[in-house]
Amino acid sequence: MDASLLTENLSYILPEIVISAALIIIVLFDLIFHNDKRIIPYLAVAGLAVAGFFIIDQFSFEGSAFATSSSANNFGMITVDNFGSFFKLFVVCVSILIVFFSFSSEEIQKTFDRLGEYYALIFGMILGMIILVSASDLILIYLALELLSLSSYVLAGFTKLRDRNSEASLKYLIFGGVSSGLMLFGISIIYGMTGTTNLYLINPLLQAPNLNLITVSFAMILIFTGIGYKISSAPFHFWTPDVYEGAPIVITAFLSVASKAAGFALLIRLIKTTFVTFTSPDGYWQLINAFDWQALLIIISIFTMTLGNFTALWQNNLKRMLAYSSIAHAGYLLLGLVVMSDQGLTAILIYFVFYALMNLGAFYIIMLIANKTGSEEIDDYTGLGSAAPFLGVSLAIFLVSLTGLPPTAGFIGKLYIFIALVDAKMIAVAIIALLNTVVSLYYYVRVLKHMYLQKSDSPKDAILPSTGQILFILILLVPTLLFGVYFTPIVTFAKNSISLLGF
Amino acid sequence: MNSIPIEYYLILSAFMFTVGVTGVLIRRNAIVIFMCVELMLNSANLTMVAFSSYLGQSAGQIFVFFVMTVAAAEAAVGLAIIIAIFRNKLTVNIDEINIFKW
Amino acid sequence: MDGFPILSLLTFLPVLGMIIILFLPKEQSNTIKYTTLVITSLQVVFAVILLGNYNYGAGGIFEQSSFQFIEKFRWIEITGISWIGTVKVDYFMGVDGISVPMVLLTAIISFIATLSSWNIKSQLKGYFALFLLLDTGMMGVFVSLDFFLFYIFWELMLLPMYFLIGIWGGPRKEYAAIKFFIYTLFGSIFILLVMIGLYFSATETIASGERVFTFNMLALMDQTNYSPDGILSPFNPENMRLVAYIALFVGFAIKIPMFPFHTWLPDAHVEAPTPISVILAGVLLKMGTYGILRISYPMFPDITRDLMWYIALFGMVNIIYGALVALAQKDFKKLIAYSSISHMGYVLLGMASLSTTGIAGAVFQMFNHGTITAMLFLIVGVIYDRTHTRGINDFGGLANQMPVYTGFVTVAFFAAIGLPSLSGFVSEALVFVGAFGQESIRVLTMISTLGILLGAAYMLWTLQRIFFGTLPEKWNKLLDIDKREYAMFIPLTIIIIFLGIYPSAMLDIMNTSVNTLVDYVAVSFQNMQLSGF
Repeated sequence: MDASLLTENLSYILPEIVISAALIIIVLFDLIFHNDKRIIPYLAVAGLAVAGFFIIDQFSFEGSAFATSSSANNFGMITVDNFGSFFKLFVVCVSILIVFFSFSSEEIQKTFDRLGEYYALIFGMILGMIILVSASDLILIYLALELLSLSSYVLAGFTKLRDRNSEASLKYLIFGGVSSGLMLFGISIIYGMTGTTNLYLINPLLQAPNLNLITVSFAMILIFTGIGYKISSAPFHFWTPDVYEGAPIVITAFLSVASKAAGFALLIRLIKTTFVTFTSPDGYWQLINAFDWQALLIIISIFTMTLGNFTALWQNNLKRMLAYSSIAHAGYLLLGLVVMSDQGLTAILIYFVFYALMNLGAFYIIMLIANKTGSEEIDDYTGLGSAAPFLGVSLAIFLVSLTGLPPTAGFIGKLYIFIALVDAKMIAVAIIALLNTVVSLYYYVRVLKHMYLQKSDSPKDAILPSTGQILFILILLVPTLLFGVYFTPIVTFAKNSISLLGF
Repeated sequence: MNSIPIEYYLILSAFMFTVGVTGVLIRRNAIVIFMCVELMLNSANLTMVAFSSYLGQSAGQIFVFFVMTVAAAEAAVGLAIIIAIFRNKLTVNIDEINIFKW
Repeated sequence: MDGFPILSLLTFLPVLGMIIILFLPKEQSNTIKYTTLVITSLQVVFAVILLGNYNYGAGGIFEQSSFQFIEKFRWIEITGISWIGTVKVDYFMGVDGISVPMVLLTAIISFIATLSSWNIKSQLKGYFALFLLLDTGMMGVFVSLDFFLFYIFWELMLLPMYFLIGIWGGPRKEYAAIKFFIYTLFGSIFILLVMIGLYFSATETIASGERVFTFNMLALMDQTNYSPDGILSPFNPENMRLVAYIALFVGFAIKIPMFPFHTWLPDAHVEAPTPISVILAGVLLKMGTYGILRISYPMFPDITRDLMWYIALFGMVNIIYGALVALAQKDFKKLIAYSSISHMGYVLLGMASLSTTGIAGAVFQMFNHGTITAMLFLIVGVIYDRTHTRGINDFGGLANQMPVYTGFVTVAFFAAIGLPSLSGFVSEALVFVGAFGQESIRVLTMISTLGILLGAAYMLWTLQRIFFGTLPEKWNKLLDIDKREYAMFIPLTIIIIFLGIYPSAMLDIMNTSVNTLVDYVAVSFQNMQLSGF
């Protein structure tokens, strides 16, 4: 590899380089200036902003870097395309929000002397995620996934304030270790069958006539285990409620949005580059016969959302309830992939944007309330509607949006999923998903019932958020309502972002 | 390498993998569970190396280096978490670490 | 009136009021009340202006040119890149002879309900803000001509209604509120599904000459707009129109509420505070039947024809079942709730006749039921405010104690029974005449007439039990109605008597549109048969 080629390749991964540099700077800064920890979050935001700039710069640019051989079909380990840039930008934006999120978190502020570690680990996760969404080589995918996982294991138990932190961490670690082991074994089988680890090169090899399809299916199910664990789809969801409940709320919010998005990006890229031969003019993907993704995903998604919604009905802890709700949302999101069309893919991207807004908003308010009351139990929300009017109304709007009622953004997200399903003539699946929405209404409204309908026995202290906190909530709340009635920009953006390199 | 057919390696690694999965499922000591996870990773490594040699490629062996590094990092993180738990609970039996239902 | 956005004004005026109220301090309860009153009376004024400028000769229903007060502009515009082409959703409002009576009804009932809300004590600010939001949702449903817009307004009502029942309701308010919410959401998911199905089945030509998928109701009514492979297209031999029609019908039927989807209604009514019961019975129930007339009939004329017997059957079941259950009630409010179910059955029966007389009767009945039942619920509210009981057997001999009140009650009761010279009589008569003229449902119509008898039975029996006989000791200090209550009763009484004597005032408004609708259903049905479907 000569110097000019190296420079060119490095220019493809500028965002990743910026994030790594920021990670190193944070660690060094923390080591050298012990007393100025307050500056670290600003460093983090600055690093993310620069990375975001380079990502936006990469839009409408396609290319592939770090090819292992200089053969004709020169596909490398990293792919730059709009699809990847969309998710990178998504991760970076969510991360910026998470940094501000951490400002208000009492759990994080209590461990102030370890702030450097905290941000270093957050950046480890971010780096893992943005590599994951653009990696097109199984080796790199595995490494990015592990970088993401290892950082998040530690973060889940970061505060060590309560037993449940460490326990959440241990559970996350064990389930994570097992699923990555399964995934690695799947990768090794695929490698053995095709002799390559590059997704683009695997594609034509899988079309070979004399392939042992059972082995391919077995390997793919193993790989899916690893991804399913990241997106917390049933039956790999067992860790989700425990980790979400046990981890600090900031981390829970981060895991439920960014980490899930990275997992979905990986799944979509894996299916599309490895298993799709071509996209027909009406937007439907032609799959290689080697493995029936559609059947697997239909079962998984229906199972995931039904299980998530029905289990959420019985939860008394709001964080745990939102964990099950996030499982259910993974099910809805999978529906966008089930249809195997560009239309479904657009729906997923739209849904993710809206999901991030409303989910982060809900978690943020839960955190502000927990800061004051020290509790996340739904029973303790009784009468909060009058004690914290602004927080109550905002939480109500976020929950209504999560249910998917107009005129909120959540409705538009769901609408696009259903439009994709109906267009693919999967009416039965659409009906099951819609019925699931009705079920989900019950547990979201239960929170509203406690806040507004029930009178609390003892008067609650008023909870008054600071101006900065109100501003942060409004940043999430206004788009949630606005995109419910005017969603053109997001849809246009998503439509421009569905192109993967080579398709 | 010609002397030992590839099937032997694959059977061995499949066996190791099964032992690993079974161990994770039935053992109750967090450290043993961890060792079983390592066993799973290593069985994948073995497959990779065997295929790499069989196909006459180097990619698989390079992959194994990465996996070994990751496994080491994972072990470090894992043991740290287990120690954190042990300090609080004085046990590493996962049946007794049960604030949440397993 | 050209270019003046009166429909948007009618719809979004309450939102403006809501915003004002949200900025008012909590303590100024009178300001809040009067703001709401001003907003709702302005709404009545605008509705009357709308009526004054309304051209009785234009039919509406399916062609944009004969709709009035049209407001149409592009709301969402997404340029296609690969799939699906262009997505365009219009902000499209307009009224015809079917929606004008409903707009009037909504404005009047909202105004009356505001007056009736004067007794609300706790959390006034939240109450009136939600009340106005509900008002917007109701008005929006009746003026939208774009399915997407219609659906947003349709769903917009759910949440305020949930809170209004759930916070200010009776002892079992939580149960009633969530039951209402779940039932109606369950219904609206079917509407949503059919909406998406229709979207993919038809295209309309837009200004640029391009053909795009559409939510425009009028474009969806034109069978020639349907593409051959759309799942809800009549030209697709494997279409799912029957299933879609039933799904849509269930969605609307839950709102009516039609037996067997009616069980949420008694609970909601009994637990809801009086003004909300008034809104619920006066306006919300009409949305179901309005939706069927506006959407199901013109978009699925073929299926409507095939299923008219079943619609009539359900109408009959509603009439008889509602009346029988009402007969057995001991709770005054529950009795009115079940009588409501029975009366909505007449609307269904009239619609099923597919004749001008029947459908005109149905729309007229929608309006009359709105006013009469609103009055009945106000009557229950008045007595409940004073005595805090609704048990019919707890009363007796109130006629001497509260003579004016008894006078209003008698008018409302007789109107509900369908006594000639009161408005209820005209609409029920039209429904029966229309339905009787349709041979296939003649038997069902004859059985349905039993409903009149049963209606008279439970109403008169109730009148006797509450107002005649001896007055129990404890009620001899009850006061007759006060000025505010006069203000609620008098407008409704005037409307009831006026429309009983001079029904043409209302019938003329809807006449052209009903004729157009009947013709349209018949003609498109024939066209579809001619082209082999």
